Amino acid sequence: MFLTKLAFKNLIRHRNRTVVTAIIIAFAIFIFILMDSMIGGMTEMSYNNIIDYEAGHLQLVNQKYWEAEEELPLENLMVVNQQVMTKTENIQGYQASSPELNFSARLNNGTNELPVIGKGIIPNRLMQVFELQDQFVVGEMFSPGEYKAVMGKRLADLLKLDKGDYITLLVKDKNETFNTIDAEIAGLLHTGNPNINNNIVYLPLDIVQQSLNVDNQVSKVIVRLENKDLALGVANQLENNLKAINDNWSVYSWDELEAVSVAGAKEMGNQMILAIILLIAAIAIINTVILAALERMKEIGMMKAMGLQRKEIIYTFVLESTGIGILGGIVGLILGAFGVWIFTIYGIDFGTIMGSNIEMASFGIPVIGKMYGVWNPESFLLVFSFGVIVSFLSSILPAYWAASKDPVEAIYHS
Amino acid sequence: MALLELYNVKKIYQQGKIEVPALRGIDLTVEKGEFTTVFGPSGSGKTTMLNMIGCLDKPTSGSINFNGQELEDLDKKGLAMLRRHNIGFIFQSYNLIPVLTAYENVEFAIRLVDKHSKKELRDKVMNILANVGLDGLEARRPNELSGGQKQRVAIARALVKEPKLVLADEPSANLDSKTSEEVLELMVKMNEELGTTFIFSTHDPQVMDYAHRMLEIRDGLISEDKRGKSYVSD
Repeated sequence: MFLTKLAFKNLIRHRNRTVVTAIIIAFAIFIFILMDSMIGGMTEMSYNNIIDYEAGHLQLVNQKYWEAEEELPLENLMVVNQQVMTKTENIQGYQASSPELNFSARLNNGTNELPVIGKGIIPNRLMQVFELQDQFVVGEMFSPGEYKAVMGKRLADLLKLDKGDYITLLVKDKNETFNTIDAEIAGLLHTGNPNINNNIVYLPLDIVQQSLNVDNQVSKVIVRLENKDLALGVANQLENNLKAINDNWSVYSWDELEAVSVAGAKEMGNQMILAIILLIAAIAIINTVILAALERMKEIGMMKAMGLQRKEIIYTFVLESTGIGILGGIVGLILGAFGVWIFTIYGIDFGTIMGSNIEMASFGIPVIGKMYGVWNPESFLLVFSFGVIVSFLSSILPAYWAASKDPVEAIYHS
Repeated sequence: MALLELYNVKKIYQQGKIEVPALRGIDLTVEKGEFTTVFGPSGSGKTTMLNMIGCLDKPTSGSINFNGQELEDLDKKGLAMLRRHNIGFIFQSYNLIPVLTAYENVEFAIRLVDKHSKKELRDKVMNILANVGLDGLEARRPNELSGGQKQRVAIARALVKEPKLVLADEPSANLDSKTSEEVLELMVKMNEELGTTFIFSTHDPQVMDYAHRMLEIRDGLISEDKRGKSYVSD
């Protein structure tokens, strides 16, 4: 108990040093909380971008197609009949669904061409599932049966295309025969999803089906639910229902998609970077303990002469450092909470920071306009505990070094 | 009965490849209650001998028996416990803990050895502080005390746990002659009142008058062993 009292009294011994070390820890914790909030916000927006523009909440697909999806095959497609639609529409939280036929194509403007992903869609159903309505920079969505196309503004810019221009899509149909689809550009999109902006060309489903010679088949059906939390449970339920119609059909929820797992992996990488920030706090603590030990060498010698054991001397140093960690942790939490509060209310406009000509979406960060932070109480608890534990652990070695000094050398240390 | 027995104690320090003998074979017996001064020129081995006696350092050869216990049989923890319960130290630079008050510096020593009730502990600390003339100064921190007052706190700290032996390494070296005299008189008083065995080193001839026994050390050997006043135990 007395040693505990001594340790806490030592905290105010060199007030400035204690404060500086605590500030370093507080700053590290503050940055961690802020970055965690930003990453959380970015991840949330990233998930929403994938859901809102690319994948919806559920995807109904033939399992064999799913396995080869990257090649955009025209085999193992599905026919969506009334029975399938009824089963789909009856699931909990159902809002809308949109069939799509995906294919690879070369987009030609008469002079140049680029590889793209074509999507045959039913316009009104696509607009119900995806948040594309407000993303048109120029023009609008086409109607079924029209030889018209919609694509990303960025893709159009690359080929110097604009609304009203004509494009040719070079495709291979189901029988590996070359075919072309000519269409007029009806509208250009600019979404928060770089994949949509750079790679996708939307066309009416019936025209694509005819050009690819796939009758009334589609690659998949995208389903939108009331909220994304329902997805996993509903996916299993719907899959079981659809298996009765076709054993090969599967249902995938948004969080099973590869793009989402990549976003998760990015988050893990960021956590590693943040761990480095806390390492700086550990170095500050080690530095403080070594300085304190060097200054108190005679005192350590005296303590040993009084009969204190090594572990008791280590205890006083470790407790002192832990105290600094707690102090820094509390200040860091308060600053962090304030920062996140500001961040969630006012957000950050990366466009302004990076310059108006640069979009974060260009770097694969699916953010357009302002980005807002999210509250993550778990991270507050985690970083505080981590800060205190780091302070505790990083002081053990220098404290052990100090407490292991020969008592005679320590007493007569000059 | 002898409190302390040293048999042919040698201490050799290694400085690179050179061996520097600090003690060349000390034989000494100290009885309980003795008030002994160790004197000699700088580098003669006074401090080394006190460090051996105080279990802070181990001899290169020879043996030390403290109150019937062979020190070489004890490990680090055993030596720490022996110091904690039986030996008080007073150093010339006081070595007080600056963040603790005079009261707390003394309290620290007694807290290590026994679990007293709050009241007993307070009485004990206040009594010893009063005995060393620090009545009313117990709430002061070391930086608010004079050199003499600091040394009194150090003496109180060494004595409060009622050790069998107090070792003082040049306790008056940093004090003026008047304060030095007061401190030595205080140590004599404690020796007489409590029967505590004192061994202190000095090279100041003025302070030797207070001792019952004077050991002169030269070149790592006891060159003279003079007895003056009678022992307290007599």
